[in-house]
Amino acid sequence: MGDVLVLAEHRQGSLRDISFEMMAIAPRIAEAMNGEVKVLLMGSGMDDMAKKMSEYGAKVIVVDDPLFENFNAEKYQKALSALLDDLKPAVFMTGQTAQGVDFMPALAVEKKLPYVAEAIDLNFEDGTLKATRNLYSGKVNAIVSFKPADTCLVTIRESAVEAPEPAASGDVEKIDSPLTEDIPYRKFVEYIEAEVGDVDITQSDILVSVGRGLKEDKNLPVIEELAKAMKADISGSRAATDAGWIPHDRQVGTSGKTVKPKLYLALGISGAFQHLAGMKGAKTIVAVNRDPEAPIFSVADYAIVDDIFKVVPALTEKMKELKG
Amino acid sequence: MMMRGMIMTTESQTFTEKYDLLGCIQCGRCTGGCPVTVRADLNVRQFVDDAYDEEKLDELARLAEIWDCTACHTCAVRCPKGLKPLEVLIGLRSLIVESGKVEPTVRDALQSVLLEGNPWEKSRATRQDWMEGLDVRIAEPGEHVKNLFFVCCTNAYDPRVQVTAKNMIKILNKAGVDYAFLPEDESCCGSEVFTIGEEGLFEMIVEDNTEFLNEFSADRIVTLSPHCFTTYRTHFPDLKLPVIHYTQLLDELIEEGKLAWTGELPKKVVYHDPCYLGKQSGVFDEPRRILKSIPGVELLEFDRSRERSLCCEGGGGKMWVESESKKERLAETRIKDAKVLEADIVAAACPFCVLTLEDAMKGLGYEEEMRVAEIMELLGELIED
Amino acid sequence: MKTIVCIKYVPDTSEAEVKVNPDGKTVDDAKFSFDINDADNYAVEESVLVKEDKGGEVDVLSIGPKQSEVMIRMAMAKGCDRATRVEDDRIADHDPLMVAKVLAGALKDQEFDLIFTGCWAEDDGHMSTGVALAEYLGINHASMVKKVEVLDGKVKAHRELEGGLMEVVELELPAVLTIQTGINEPRYAPIRGIRQAQKKELNVVNLDDLGLDPSEVGSEASLVVLENLYIPEVESAAEFIEGEADEKAEKLASILVKGGLV
Repeated sequence: MGDVLVLAEHRQGSLRDISFEMMAIAPRIAEAMNGEVKVLLMGSGMDDMAKKMSEYGAKVIVVDDPLFENFNAEKYQKALSALLDDLKPAVFMTGQTAQGVDFMPALAVEKKLPYVAEAIDLNFEDGTLKATRNLYSGKVNAIVSFKPADTCLVTIRESAVEAPEPAASGDVEKIDSPLTEDIPYRKFVEYIEAEVGDVDITQSDILVSVGRGLKEDKNLPVIEELAKAMKADISGSRAATDAGWIPHDRQVGTSGKTVKPKLYLALGISGAFQHLAGMKGAKTIVAVNRDPEAPIFSVADYAIVDDIFKVVPALTEKMKELKG
Repeated sequence: MMMRGMIMTTESQTFTEKYDLLGCIQCGRCTGGCPVTVRADLNVRQFVDDAYDEEKLDELARLAEIWDCTACHTCAVRCPKGLKPLEVLIGLRSLIVESGKVEPTVRDALQSVLLEGNPWEKSRATRQDWMEGLDVRIAEPGEHVKNLFFVCCTNAYDPRVQVTAKNMIKILNKAGVDYAFLPEDESCCGSEVFTIGEEGLFEMIVEDNTEFLNEFSADRIVTLSPHCFTTYRTHFPDLKLPVIHYTQLLDELIEEGKLAWTGELPKKVVYHDPCYLGKQSGVFDEPRRILKSIPGVELLEFDRSRERSLCCEGGGGKMWVESESKKERLAETRIKDAKVLEADIVAAACPFCVLTLEDAMKGLGYEEEMRVAEIMELLGELIED
Repeated sequence: MKTIVCIKYVPDTSEAEVKVNPDGKTVDDAKFSFDINDADNYAVEESVLVKEDKGGEVDVLSIGPKQSEVMIRMAMAKGCDRATRVEDDRIADHDPLMVAKVLAGALKDQEFDLIFTGCWAEDDGHMSTGVALAEYLGINHASMVKKVEVLDGKVKAHRELEGGLMEVVELELPAVLTIQTGINEPRYAPIRGIRQAQKKELNVVNLDDLGLDPSEVGSEASLVVLENLYIPEVESAAEFIEGEADEKAEKLASILVKGGLV
């Protein structure tokens, strides 16, 4: 029997998407290992969250303790160290998130357990647990297997899989907190929200970038609306900053800034070598341009040959619809 | 990494001695002729004057306008005392470079030259990828060749201007010229490293490239970019081989009747003199003779041509430094001038000129009626495979 | 203030074609260009900024080949004082926990206040080494740090969560901070500085020199096995979305949403 224990992640009162996404992987592995899925929630006052997680048909174990009100890697590690001893899951997984990466490696070292970070898939074959992960920014995949151990530790990449629909309801069980006292050596101080209007495009996750195809600055609101719907920042090619449509500190390229967003949407940018050099590190590149021969398409993952003024408003509507 | 020669240079000269500031008579011909003055707040004469005061240097070096200079050398051409006022600005830049506090784009370009031998952050191992599928001879040390080609980082890596080198091979093969291209160990000539003011890196490039190039046996080195051409001619005293620009070679071939164009180009072509080819190296007539040799071409002249040619702002490290000025780019002025002349084609013989002029042409929305082309681009269309 | 900065020499594969070698476990790196890992470059800058602000020294620690010395000299040109380079092919470098164990071994008899590492390596991207290192050394840590405030005996670290949200934590020193890109603006290492840095102390050591048992940090000690590498089937060329403008927009929107890209 091998149970899969999933540590659900939440912050400021809400479950994070990764918690649901892991429910696309955990049940399959638990089934292959003849075990069951258990979801662990650590925090303070989490009844709604516990209910929500229980709708995925798993048993939810709740550790409700004011000491866990805010995430603290040291407290998590201490508590999880004890919980792994008690629950003895065959697999313990959480997300490769700012939270997961802050304690999982230390937990693995402390417990002398095998650990694979940022798996995009997991499989249990011939008695061995195997993780698939990316190397070289996704250009190579690696299969990494876990040597036999009491518990295999793994983090799952965010957005690697789609979250399943809720299935059946499971039980919620509250257990005692393994933590008896606060720790003095690491303290949570506060959360600081990002300042609005203070945009550094080198740090943006999503960039909507415009080029010469914008034609004139009165067309900018169309782009701004899309950026808003996508929660993106706006950047531009040299042509766009030259024309004064976009501030100079948002120019992408060899004489501007090098950006590495998760998503780069190039609108009406032909893609001179000097521009491409500034955005080649983007994870996913989408290009919309009227010219099918535009060099931007050579680096794009998704391409649309069309007028940006036809595509962008429709895209904005769709994004609003889909993202609610 | 290229770090073959690591020899310390002595820093015994003062700034005033190094740039011969006392030789300046403050006549103002430098600023008077500086093309950048219409666009940016740059007064090179004032800098030469202020730089006498060594204590003021750090303050001067922090002024943004020192990065507006395009190193076109108009000031040096006009100076009655034979000084190079622009090098005072480069000297100030070097103070910033030595402190390490340069723009990230400049930092990355310089670091790429050091690590990969090109400023474009490309792997050295892919320097010759543009040759794929071409029948090209690669030079080997000790094997004599008449014309040894130095391709230039920009021509090698920027897909827009790779056509210059590709068409060159087509023409050389057709004309039966004895030539070879340098192997992939070829490294940046340092033209932009020099003008950005990374003196230590430039010294290293001069040493390493001299040693590298001197291993080859050839009648001469042929450069595809005027930047490499002028840099090798003026900053490499120990280079054994003479250096020419490709327009000089083609001019010879045409003279000798070795090139025959198939078809014609019935267009009005205006030739833009690249600063590094014209005013810095005196090559004015060869490119014009090449263009005139094309059947159908009507060759036009800019008002500001030859020594007075208007800089495109591609040099002086400007590919990595954006000017704070929002005024019209000089390249746009140039394209507007070409429009007034009703030119169909603006021809240049420099990768930077082609990139900046074409960008300006597109920015002005003249794509339908005008074309910016490297001379080699035009020639490639007039030769049979 | 004594700071250790751990850096890694990595290939830039953003534009390169990556091929798996016949052994199925390594990639052909002949056409790659190598440089300091991006996040580590920020860690170096942060260590020098701390030194400039608080005084003290910075030591560089790196596991890597001879060619990586240029990266180390650059760090020294920026202000790091000395370096140790560990070179030993018996280290199971597919496992960040083994790498961390070696780093911890190299630091075992040393005194320090802070250790900086990059939070993420461009090549294998585990985001694990720094946090594991702290555990081996038995000291505090914070990962993905975007701002550092050194206080008396403590450090305040701003951890970057998502969407620009920062989590501020206070740690007792000594501590490991894994540094996020964008925390500062890394300076340029001029060649004259690199030449002068040739005079600084750079020790090259192997596991024996460090008194580490190879069987403790090799593949037999690692609890994970790198089975094989393969090139995932991705369309290298762009996927052209067809249809009327509205349809294209709709298809794109659904790709972006389903792919978790927005």
